[in-house]
Amino acid sequence: MDDLTEMLKGTLEGCVLEIIGSEETYGYAITRRLNELGFADVVEGTVYTILLRLERNGRVQVTKRPSGVGPPRKFYALNEAGREELAKFWAKWQYVSSRIDRLKEGGK
Amino acid sequence: MNFWETITGSDLTREWKAFEDRAKALPDEYRAAWEEIKGHLFPHGDFTGRNLMPILDSALGLLEETAADGQSVHEVLGDDIRGFCTALVGGEGARTYRDRWREQLNRDVARKLSRLGG
Repeated sequence: MDDLTEMLKGTLEGCVLEIIGSEETYGYAITRRLNELGFADVVEGTVYTILLRLERNGRVQVTKRPSGVGPPRKFYALNEAGREELAKFWAKWQYVSSRIDRLKEGGK
Repeated sequence: MNFWETITGSDLTREWKAFEDRAKALPDEYRAAWEEIKGHLFPHGDFTGRNLMPILDSALGLLEETAADGQSVHEVLGDDIRGFCTALVGGEGARTYRDRWREQLNRDVARKLSRLGG
């Protein structure tokens, strides 16, 4: 599906939190995971800026590990604040999606 | 950073040189992207550009990591380098020309008003 980017904007951070929450991982792997899910427009730069923001806001724990080639990779894991943020994200998502579904069904 | 460096910006010159050396080691298409990134980030600089240094460092870091992976620049940055740069500076505390103009305007207006009042 094309042109999902605008719609995704507010939720991408939550998606990234969820991916990091399931296992410690790095930027490239997160991007690939999102691409596999069908978010083809998401590039590594997008994920990178989200990761920077999460790091700055103290939601993740960052570990540098040497990689086979080139500079060391940064691995991300959720800390306590990150887990709280993720729980909040799912609560908000639940709220929004249930309202939108209701709207679509023409219900009250 | 010592006083001399603060005044002369000599530490910045040195940092710039280090950035450019790192950029030189990148593949061609990455180097082109680096030039473009710098162009988009400069307007967000403060008087000396010091506030951009950590941002440029992280952008260059991403280019280095992904170039080493053998990814194409397009895979990494997509079509929207400007958007990438905006996201990089967003919330980073980097201010734009526009913020400074606005401040200057407010200051001037306040001064003129106080002169009228006094």
